[in-house]
Amino acid sequence: MFDPALTVFLRKEWRDLKGSPQILPGYLILPVLVLVVPALMIALFPLDPANAPDPDIATLMRFAARDPLLAVYPEAERLPRLIVREAVMLFLLMPVLLSGMSAALAIAGEKQQRTLEPLLATPLSDRDFLVAKLLAILVPSVVATWLSAVAYTVVIGIVSTVRFGVLMLPGPAFGLVIVALVPLAGAAAALMGMRASMRAADVQSAVQTASLWVIPIGLVGITTVGRLAVRSLPAAAGGTFVMAGVAWWMFRLTRKRFEREEILTRWV
Amino acid sequence: MIHAHALTRVFGTRTAVEDVSFALGEGQVCALLGPNGAGKTTMVRMLLGLIRPTSGSATVAGITIPGTPVAHAELRRRAGLLTETPGMYDRLSAWENLLLFGRLYRIPAGELESRVESHLTRLGLGKRRDDLVGTYSKGMKQRLAIVRAVFHEPQVVFFDEPTAGLDPESARDVRELIGSLKAAGRTVLVCTHNLAEAAALADVVGVIRRRLVAFGPVASLGAPVVPQCRITLTTAAEPARAAIEGLASVGPVAVDGPRLVVTVADPERDPPRLVAALVGAGFGVRDVRLVERSLEDLYLSVLGEV
Repeated sequence: MFDPALTVFLRKEWRDLKGSPQILPGYLILPVLVLVVPALMIALFPLDPANAPDPDIATLMRFAARDPLLAVYPEAERLPRLIVREAVMLFLLMPVLLSGMSAALAIAGEKQQRTLEPLLATPLSDRDFLVAKLLAILVPSVVATWLSAVAYTVVIGIVSTVRFGVLMLPGPAFGLVIVALVPLAGAAAALMGMRASMRAADVQSAVQTASLWVIPIGLVGITTVGRLAVRSLPAAAGGTFVMAGVAWWMFRLTRKRFEREEILTRWV
Repeated sequence: MIHAHALTRVFGTRTAVEDVSFALGEGQVCALLGPNGAGKTTMVRMLLGLIRPTSGSATVAGITIPGTPVAHAELRRRAGLLTETPGMYDRLSAWENLLLFGRLYRIPAGELESRVESHLTRLGLGKRRDDLVGTYSKGMKQRLAIVRAVFHEPQVVFFDEPTAGLDPESARDVRELIGSLKAAGRTVLVCTHNLAEAAALADVVGVIRRRLVAFGPVASLGAPVVPQCRITLTTAAEPARAAIEGLASVGPVAVDGPRLVVTVADPERDPPRLVAALVGAGFGVRDVRLVERSLEDLYLSVLGEV
């Protein structure tokens, strides 16, 4: 059962999000992107490398043909199955970007609205403050990602059945990544964004600093952990374990560096 | 209830508050006066445990500062704060704002709604409790912020400009609220620029300009607070000075154009004696006024001496 204060806090954050010109476009564009791009690729890519209109697509098809995990499938299905599998990175990118950017505004935005000092003047502990903020940032981005993943599975199922006569669904590793790795990656990104937000002198610099940290580190993390994790269930479990460690370490670091004084006084 | 001992706070090379010591008891209202940037907000933040003093210490509502994070959290539960700007969440209703802060202040769930209801009604916000705060006027937001500062029944309340932006009726309600807090034994520290309000509300006045340059009951602040008798003569004042200098209980005599400005110890008896002495010496008296030094005079004179 949620604490009523947390429920109100989440409602407040959700309304802030709906009214934020920096964050709302991400929530509207990214789900469409993760649905449309893989579906279009599966629907439109040629079946034979010889017919590829572009040398890059031909290279991609040859890459799919050489993938040992796809060797059990007919050659024509390998590229679409590769796309179905590798699209997991888009689903990891989504919570990282949404959480990271929301977090950048989380504390700097409160400073700007002058709501931070009354909040910090309550008995709320540093840990509870960070957890509440983290949940408020994480819940919308994870829910948006989960809903997009469900929609993705349905859309890909339809497109693959129509084009190939085969139902191509993401595997169980994909499921584990979405259920477990997505919230953890989102949490790590959110904590990184919150650190930027705490130290920022204004909203602009919070967003810029968060972008500088979250986007490059997030991309490196997604392309390494995400690509490996989606290849098998044990790999997904291992990736989840690693990301849980990263998120825990980030939380400890953020809590250690959480200085009410610095947050209150470092503001232009 | 508040004991500050040599509190000092330095930011880099700038000293915001220096060596401030004072004490306030239960049920006392203190008005902290000072120009912008004088250190009032830093002082309040230190007393709430939000920022650490560079040196010195304080005890507020039984909690020692600086202390542990747990002690500081307990201090924040025992204290209320009205910040300079209301700082309410615009996208929540008044009811939701107070519900959120009530939970954060650990008001028992069974009491929370009735407390919120009664405070909102008391400050005239009951009918609009479900409207988003973003639709409120500045004065309504300020009143809501005042409710937030006191509805968890803190032992010590810090108000930063509580009546700024309020219409006269609302300002009166706030002053009454502060009066009721005092009557309930709460200790109230009000940072204000409104000297008339400070004089009306406060038992004790402090004037801060980095250091606490004056602190005490209004009547004992700074230079002696004694009435002045301003006597306008029909002739030049300078020759008449000798006629009253030396009279018992009469203080220094100054000349201001055709006026003699005399500090008197007994405002009842001294003016007639002065007039009698002047008339007796052959000087015509056109006008006599007894002027008590206002808090503004004191404030300006105290700051002028710094």
